[in-house]
Amino acid sequence: MASVHESLYFNPMMTNGVVHANVFSIKDWVTPYKIAVLSLLYEMSTTKPMALLDRRRLNKLILPIQQGPDLTLEQFLKIVEECCLRMVNAVKLRLFLMADGELQDMEHFFTMLPNAFSDSEAFKTSVVGLFMRQMLLAYNKLSFSQVYKLYKSLQQYCRRGNQPELSAEDMELTSNEDPRMDINTRGPLSQKQAEYFLARQAYLLKNDENKAMSPAKLQDELNNILKFNPDFAEAHYLSYLNSMRVQDIYISTHSLLHYFDRLILSGGEGKSNGDEGYGRSLRYAVLNLATLHCRFGHYQQADLALQESIRIAQEANDHVCLQHCLSWLYTLEQMKGSDSVVLTEDSVKIAAHFCLPYLASLGIQSLVQQGAKQGMPANKLLDALRGTDIMHWKQSLSELIEISLAQTTSIWRMYGKSTMARQQAQLLLNMNSLEPVNFGVQQNNTEAFAVTLCHLAELHAEQGLYAVVSDIMKHLKQQFPPHTQHAKLWMLCDLKIQFEKAMNDGKYHLADPHVTAISALNSTEGLYRKAQLLKALNQTTKASKILKQLQQRCEKSKNTEMIIRMMLASAELHWDSATGFATAVPLLLQALALSRQHNLQSLTSETLLHLAFTQLMLGIPEQALVLVQDVLESVLAHGSLIDKGRALLLAARCHMALAGAAAQEHRLTAVELAVHTLDEAAVYFSQLDCKERMRDIHYLQARLHHSLGNISQRNKCAMLFRLLDQELPSSGMTVVNRL
Amino acid sequence: DLSNSSIVTLASELAVSLDALPLNEIPAAPELTEEDARDLDALCLAKSHFELKEYDRAAYFLRGCRSQKAYFLYMYSRYLSGEKKKDDETVDSLGPLEKGQVRNEALRELRVELSKKHSAGELDGFALYLYGVVLRKLDLLKEAVEIFVAATHALPLHWGSWLELCNLITNIEMLKSLSLPECWVRDFFMAHMFTELQMIKEALQKYQSLMEAGFAKSTYIISQIAVAYHNIRDIDQALYLFNELREQDPFRIENMDTFSNLLYVRSMKPELSYLAHNLVEIDKYRVETCCVIGNYYSLRSQHEKAALYFQRALKLNPRCLGAWTLMGHEYMEMKNTSAAIQAYRHAIEVNKRDYRAWYGLGQTYEILKMPFYSLYYYRKAHHLRPNDSRMLVALGECYEKLSQQVEAKKCYWRAYSVGDVERMALLKLAKLHEQLNESDDAAQCYIIYIQDIFSCGEQLEHAEVSTALRYLGQYYFKNKLYDEASLCAQRCCDYNDAREEGKALLRQISAVREQGEPSSTDLSLACVFNPLINTTTPVRRASPLDLSSVTP
Repeated sequence: MASVHESLYFNPMMTNGVVHANVFSIKDWVTPYKIAVLSLLYEMSTTKPMALLDRRRLNKLILPIQQGPDLTLEQFLKIVEECCLRMVNAVKLRLFLMADGELQDMEHFFTMLPNAFSDSEAFKTSVVGLFMRQMLLAYNKLSFSQVYKLYKSLQQYCRRGNQPELSAEDMELTSNEDPRMDINTRGPLSQKQAEYFLARQAYLLKNDENKAMSPAKLQDELNNILKFNPDFAEAHYLSYLNSMRVQDIYISTHSLLHYFDRLILSGGEGKSNGDEGYGRSLRYAVLNLATLHCRFGHYQQADLALQESIRIAQEANDHVCLQHCLSWLYTLEQMKGSDSVVLTEDSVKIAAHFCLPYLASLGIQSLVQQGAKQGMPANKLLDALRGTDIMHWKQSLSELIEISLAQTTSIWRMYGKSTMARQQAQLLLNMNSLEPVNFGVQQNNTEAFAVTLCHLAELHAEQGLYAVVSDIMKHLKQQFPPHTQHAKLWMLCDLKIQFEKAMNDGKYHLADPHVTAISALNSTEGLYRKAQLLKALNQTTKASKILKQLQQRCEKSKNTEMIIRMMLASAELHWDSATGFATAVPLLLQALALSRQHNLQSLTSETLLHLAFTQLMLGIPEQALVLVQDVLESVLAHGSLIDKGRALLLAARCHMALAGAAAQEHRLTAVELAVHTLDEAAVYFSQLDCKERMRDIHYLQARLHHSLGNISQRNKCAMLFRLLDQELPSSGMTVVNRL
Repeated sequence: DLSNSSIVTLASELAVSLDALPLNEIPAAPELTEEDARDLDALCLAKSHFELKEYDRAAYFLRGCRSQKAYFLYMYSRYLSGEKKKDDETVDSLGPLEKGQVRNEALRELRVELSKKHSAGELDGFALYLYGVVLRKLDLLKEAVEIFVAATHALPLHWGSWLELCNLITNIEMLKSLSLPECWVRDFFMAHMFTELQMIKEALQKYQSLMEAGFAKSTYIISQIAVAYHNIRDIDQALYLFNELREQDPFRIENMDTFSNLLYVRSMKPELSYLAHNLVEIDKYRVETCCVIGNYYSLRSQHEKAALYFQRALKLNPRCLGAWTLMGHEYMEMKNTSAAIQAYRHAIEVNKRDYRAWYGLGQTYEILKMPFYSLYYYRKAHHLRPNDSRMLVALGECYEKLSQQVEAKKCYWRAYSVGDVERMALLKLAKLHEQLNESDDAAQCYIIYIQDIFSCGEQLEHAEVSTALRYLGQYYFKNKLYDEASLCAQRCCDYNDAREEGKALLRQISAVREQGEPSSTDLSLACVFNPLINTTTPVRRASPLDLSSVTP
């Protein structure tokens, strides 16, 4: 087989064979631009006294200049000029001397080049030293005609821009309707440069899509690279990633398969891993195909591909690949919406056994997520996360650390502990990146950050700090522009916040378009919001129909939070009907049990408030008051502004109801207590600018003052009430029927 | 006129010349103009330099000439000089990535000059052709098409422009939208175009009418028709035509690779061997010769040597599509899957529409036991040849392996409907039904399968009539249709592998009959077996049962 392979190499003319890269193993070659860089380096090492600041700036410049694509002379000189003016003139002088002189001058330059570096600080193995030696090697390998050609192109390089060769009319002819010319003038990338370019873009796509090139432009670049070297398989992979961004299944499948077809070749040729490497890429090829279908939501296709990959991995006894398959298997199951805890547990166990920390902790994180949804004890979940965290820090798996923090934020938020959630969110946002590529830069644009920022925005919205919210949203929009993959997260979050705000303000007509938009992003959430809106508009039958629909869907997907919310909403609907209060109680009790079981504190307190209100309406204010006082503490500590206000309002109403029944001397204190509580509630509602509730409060206060005999106070409250009442459309809903 | 005709051949040097045609309609040579006469000396000198491939020298001596002919030769020399330098450069370039970067530097200048002349309307047919070539080389395809159309109008008899145009046309809509000159060459072009676009029927029609119009002796047309028959896999017709072609034009090398493919498919060893030896004698350094030898070795199962010869063909012309694909097949035979994948990928790179390469890739992955993976490739191949049953059968097999029976059934049925060349689809469909315990459907498929096998008359190696008969016998037996069952059982006895079972079934039937009543009354079913009884007459009879229920 080896002989057959080698016999493929006989043909140097084979322009689209794998041949070149492997046989000649030239990764870089001399171009005029490289000569310019070399002369800069030469000048830097020979100019001994140099300002420290200039030197530092130049040193920082070296790496990007070496790795980046070829620049034109003007661009290059401009960059250098920004760092050190003196250096520009030296470099320019040297280059023009070479270009205007004879070929001999260039040869002279290359012969004296090593001398300059022999005694300087550029070691042989340093970046500069390696680069220089590579260039020298490449130069020495050139044949006679190639040297001449290089010199010619150097002359052209130096003269370009100084004197146009063609007349204006001809220029127009050669430059119009040919966009490739732009790329061509920049010259092709050498293999080194191309590799660097691909690595950089791939990294950015993963971590900070915002900074990567736009999809169309990147595709152009890739096509350009592939045109010059169709065997550059990695470019196909990047093209796959790129087309995934724009959800183009056709090109992404094509590129992926092309990449692996190519990879299989190079894998087969590597002598060190032999057949092993070849089979390995096959397995991963199928696995990648499975992930592709997963991402596009073709679950059946993904399933088939995954099975195939598992089968060949099993045949080859490749445990690592199997492990990857297993982790995708449970992901797939999760995406399909079925229970995958057992699979995930298995995956974690085996991953731990084969020492695959990344997969193991991914599995644990997935387990935690499922556990949280299914109401596992909180201490166990957080303990598991802490355990993996230790490992992440040891191995500096920054990606997983981010996910873990984001997950903790979400879990705390779900449990209704807003302070803890805020703290965790800040922890993540203030963390420095551990990635080597942009070490020390604070922001990474990963999904974890998007999630955390969304949580933060919602938390602030709950506290009525809308200015902050809009700041956060602005930041999110900037970091994750609408076309990027995580943009949906903040879009949904933004819509939810605006919906809540509109509802609080009583501007239902504004809330309506938000509902449509929410449904587009998340249909379940959309249904819930629609029911809420219909309820507020008093369209009870429609609302209850939608709630039924929601219930069915939630029971299928086991979305506990939404189930509880749905129950509360239907309880509220029951209140409106005549005998509703009694019928609402069992529903509320069910919700209470469910929320307690899942440790959902904010939902528990909300349920309790609902229950208390029901009791109040059923005429047992004592019980209601006890309940309210029980939850009041946690609501005030963790709840949103509106919840706080509502709780206090309810407490005040309980006091009022009790006062009505109590003896004379108690009545006075009770009424005063109620007035005081209402004042507090009014503060919260006014912060939210929630006019309807303010109106209710003013009404109640006026009544109370009246019963206390504070005429001036009563009149003031009555006036405030009247002002608000005129301003607001009469909702028809009386104070009585609302929590 | 020597100079004129030499320019004609010069211009078409790049492409297939029409010299195979009886060009009895060549217009009378135009009179020499005054300019021509003045430039005659320079032109003669330049032409000898040109023929010695000293293009720069030729161009130098033509620089002052004014006549159209001289101008064309001047520009053409410059173009070829650029091309030659480009080729030299490619060998000598600085690095791998620069290879694609090497360009014909003369192109841009040529374009500028030609476009000036063109807008002034000073270009003749040949110069227009050259302008088009320059544009195409610069990847300005849209402009190139316009210019080539203009070139065909200016000089319809220049086959080179037509050929260039043919390479630029990608679909039938584009072809229809062009306004081409009304000329007999146009018919050749259309026929060629139809072949390229895989519209074989139309192409054959065109060629037929051309033959009737007086080109009956043209070897070019015969070869084209043969290739067309090859494309629609009418092997006998194609073989016949190729044999005729070799009689008329014994030293022809063109298209002989296609001929060898046909011989290979039919496993005609002596003929292939004769062809190979003959071609080696004519010219052993031709792509076609190498391909023929490759096929020859492949047929003799000397796959390594075969691969070597395909490689040689590729050395001679790296863009030779067929050789890449055939080399892939050889590597497949050698179980060198990675090299096979490489070869197929190259083939696809040269021509994305090469269905055989896509199919080969699919096969490779199927051999690697990755049926899902190969689905993509088979689908691609099927997309390119929607009416080719082989891809459909391959697709069906993949689906079957993935236990996607519904899709598999669809594929097999479709394969049968488009005309199954290997006659395997129905058998597979029947077996699939058998597995799924859909015995009625299975029986129907077997019935049609048997009819099909016998009606086509010829013996197929892999025919599994016995399997079908065995199943049908059991099926009728279970359904208590004893007459049919015994008929099947009797036929079973004709085949070695099913004889014992046939006999056993007959015994069972007679046992049952002795016990009970002779029941079967449905005679219509028996008539299905007419072809069985009388195998020589190809009777194609509709099945008594409604077959449409089989289609999923």
